[in-house]
Amino acid sequence: MTTTTAPAPQTTAERQPTTTTLATRIRDRAATQPDQVAMRHKDLGIWREITWATYWDTVQTVGHALLDMGVEPGDRVAIHSENRPEWLVTDIATLAARASTVGLYPTNPAAEVAYLLSHSGAKVHVVEDQEQLDKALAVFDDCPELTHIVYVDPRGIKGRYQHPALMSWDELLARGAAHRQAHPDALAERMAEAAPDDIVTIIYTSGTTGPPKGAMLTVANVEFAVNTHAAGTGFANPPPGPYDMLLSYLPLCHVVERTFTTWFNAGAGIQVNFAESIATVQPNLAEIQPTILFSVPRIWEKMLAGVQIRLANATLPKRVTARFWLKVADWIGDTLVRTGGSHTVATRLVYAVGWVCWYRALRTRLGMRRVRAAVSGAAPIAPEVLKFFMGIGVPMYEAYGMTENAAISTANQPGRVKLGTVGEPLGDAEVRVADDGEILVRHPGVFAGYFRDPEATARTMTDDGWLRTGDIGEWIDGTHIKITDRAKDIIITAGGKNIAPSEIENALKTSPFLKEVVVIGDGRPYLTALIGIEFDTVAAWAQRRKLDFTTYRDLSEKPEVIELVQSLVDEVNQRLATVEQIKKFRMLPKELDHEDGELTATQKVKRGALAERFADLVDDLYRNRDR
Amino acid sequence: MLTRDPTTSRPLLHTSYRSDMALFDTRTKRNAVVLIVLFGLSLPLLLPDPDLRLLSTASVFAIGAIGLGLLTGSAGQISLGHAFFLGVGCYAAAVISGDPDGRAIGFGITEILIWLPAAGLVAAAVGVLIAPLATRLRGLYLAIVTLGLVFVGEHLFEQWRVVTGGARAGRPAPEPVLFGYPLHVDGLFTRQQQLFWLMFVLLVIFALLARNLSRSAVGRAFNAVRDRDIAAGVIGVNLVKYKTIAFAISSFYAGCAGALLYVIIGHVNPTEFNLLLSVLFIAMVLVGGVGTISGAIAGAFFITLLGRFTEQVGPMLPLISARSHETPNVFQMQNVLYALLIIGFLLFEPRGLFGIWFRIRNWWKAFPFSY
Repeated sequence: MTTTTAPAPQTTAERQPTTTTLATRIRDRAATQPDQVAMRHKDLGIWREITWATYWDTVQTVGHALLDMGVEPGDRVAIHSENRPEWLVTDIATLAARASTVGLYPTNPAAEVAYLLSHSGAKVHVVEDQEQLDKALAVFDDCPELTHIVYVDPRGIKGRYQHPALMSWDELLARGAAHRQAHPDALAERMAEAAPDDIVTIIYTSGTTGPPKGAMLTVANVEFAVNTHAAGTGFANPPPGPYDMLLSYLPLCHVVERTFTTWFNAGAGIQVNFAESIATVQPNLAEIQPTILFSVPRIWEKMLAGVQIRLANATLPKRVTARFWLKVADWIGDTLVRTGGSHTVATRLVYAVGWVCWYRALRTRLGMRRVRAAVSGAAPIAPEVLKFFMGIGVPMYEAYGMTENAAISTANQPGRVKLGTVGEPLGDAEVRVADDGEILVRHPGVFAGYFRDPEATARTMTDDGWLRTGDIGEWIDGTHIKITDRAKDIIITAGGKNIAPSEIENALKTSPFLKEVVVIGDGRPYLTALIGIEFDTVAAWAQRRKLDFTTYRDLSEKPEVIELVQSLVDEVNQRLATVEQIKKFRMLPKELDHEDGELTATQKVKRGALAERFADLVDDLYRNRDR
Repeated sequence: MLTRDPTTSRPLLHTSYRSDMALFDTRTKRNAVVLIVLFGLSLPLLLPDPDLRLLSTASVFAIGAIGLGLLTGSAGQISLGHAFFLGVGCYAAAVISGDPDGRAIGFGITEILIWLPAAGLVAAAVGVLIAPLATRLRGLYLAIVTLGLVFVGEHLFEQWRVVTGGARAGRPAPEPVLFGYPLHVDGLFTRQQQLFWLMFVLLVIFALLARNLSRSAVGRAFNAVRDRDIAAGVIGVNLVKYKTIAFAISSFYAGCAGALLYVIIGHVNPTEFNLLLSVLFIAMVLVGGVGTISGAIAGAFFITLLGRFTEQVGPMLPLISARSHETPNVFQMQNVLYALLIIGFLLFEPRGLFGIWFRIRNWWKAFPFSY
């Protein structure tokens, strides 16, 4: 197992005996490399650059404003915004003021906003625009501790909204500047008091069952995570540095995007580029050509599906070349899977030719030309998807972590990739598999507990400091961990067989035509599934077959489409044991949505909610069995 | 693998408008232009004089075509009067550099750095006088009015003998003397070599200036006027101002081209500036590609070289005579060919030669996809 120790904190040790935090790291970067680029955001067609000096200066102003508004150590500041520089500024300013940041998903509906704001007891709430402000004002009366709401984008708000708690970002900056002039050392003094067990952030886990729980991460937790990655024990070797480029587009309130965007930025100096929106990720990737790329399985699958559609719609010569080089990529992928990700002489030579002829162009279009470490995590992914990206030359590493351990537990590492596993324990992390198969993790990054929920905390931690992950897994070759499923998702059929649904679901979701697959069968005689099609790909497929359709529902209920899905199910069934086979399926009549309570903010299926909502479909699956 | 400044290795990452609209926005484009210019400069050492003469002519035509391209392609003002402005420029230059003791008037200033800009400015001034017509008319009406201009010009040039020498007689063309060194007589190099260098370098300068113009605010205003003048006016583009600028610049280019064109021939006859010459320029712009500088250059070279090609191939065909008083002859065939080219390109490749290049480029740009 890896035994690398964390490196000493950078440069600050001799200056003053304070704790290293993300804020001191940014302060030091602003002092040593003031004119280097910390982040970029696209505005009116141009990627505007923000240097470390500007970044730190704004953080200080906002930090002073927070002090002026009466934010005390331990208070909470909530942020409800897409990824943008103000998110990071608020996050770090809050940290500097020794308060805790609470991030809300931009897709959170008003009811969830009410829960998160009142449960966290946030004092200040920073909203991005009118949409988020409307949600906050609708629930303002349910949040007694909330005193200030700051809006960033004044469009539609300025001059039209009157509320005593309301303040624009510019007013916040002005207030901060005034306070800074009156008390120049106030923020520095507050920062000097920082302690390792200060709560930096409360990250609400999306919760596929029950209301979200707020995991508290401390300064020490975050520092452990930063140092573990900076030591180069992770997927990027050499470790992330100031010349790495990152595109930030997944929700920042999730621990993974926070790790990559905020922590890598402050800790390793990586340049963060904010995507314009989730819809423009593809063109933004092509512009930025990041060197480190994190994504969730859903997006990797979508990228793969996009490649397949666009290749299928290309002109004949392009299709022929694509077919050839994809076959080669398949062979390269197979070889890399066998060698753990290291090239052999043969694959290197073949890839060099393919690079000139095809892979370079493909990767440039995808925005992955310069990616040196692509990471998939946050949900299980089908190995075939990873293999595709490895085959076209993108080094792919599946990693495993969760909010409660600051996203540090295991990761596949360069040259030692085992497909289908989530890799080896990272750095100083201790990982073990309990007798009941549950994976336990212990290291300094394990969280301080759930906010205002000691019971849940007690349930999650063992007495000797191990974190119960709730994931069932096993060791592969004694070094790599393979996750079978979430413990609570395991299906026990009426016949008493334990079945992990996610493996079957992912095998099906490898097909570009399927977006959602939910296997059902707990306490039932056989397995069935609710299946949702990927509208774009199936629509393109239908168009190539001259099939008329109108809506999502109409398309997914076409006999031809059901036939297509049946063939995909049959194909996967062949590879499964009899009890694991899907005997019947029904098409989902709509695309699942966060707003309707079917998905979590991270696009995970809420199985309970789904079974309830589509109870008629499920009943239908089992009622007809006697016929 | 990791470069210090990420913007240099990422062509699509623009951190300022300056880089977004740079003259050469990609390294490939810059390198290609440098290579083409170096190749052009080395041509006089590789080709015999008659071929150089042809290429010099093509270069001058290209300057004129760029001018018309700016007016018609960029600013959308259809003009059939380009030949008239060529004539104005030509005679302005001829008068300035002409022999004071000659049959027609002249001031004997043979320095090209004086008569070339002067020719352009005189033509531009006339263009500004014409411009008010364009601000009141558009499309077909403007085309008819500028067509009338050509006939007025033809008459004027034939009758104003003091300046033009009169029909059939004509007058000597301006003499190009650069810093006291006569370029039009054999010196260090032959006359044709020197003239080609002169014309080619001027073409490069004029092309770069035009390219620079079209990426500026003026160029964007031109495009706005072209796409819909009323809409352009609504968003704050001063129509009178920009149509006048378009006419002035286009006429300036035409005037310079006119002055240079007859330097190569050595003699200028007032009947040359007729409708056919205007149509020839329209053909260059259309065949090359409307609204692009490189298209106008490609069109000019294509049409000029096509003329030489038909002169060589035509007589080999049955029924086609090389003599101009017999019918059908090579020159008639040329005119028919130009007409066919205009019709063919408008029907099948409205974006001209540049459009063909554009499609090839996009095929590779989208590779390995089709969109």
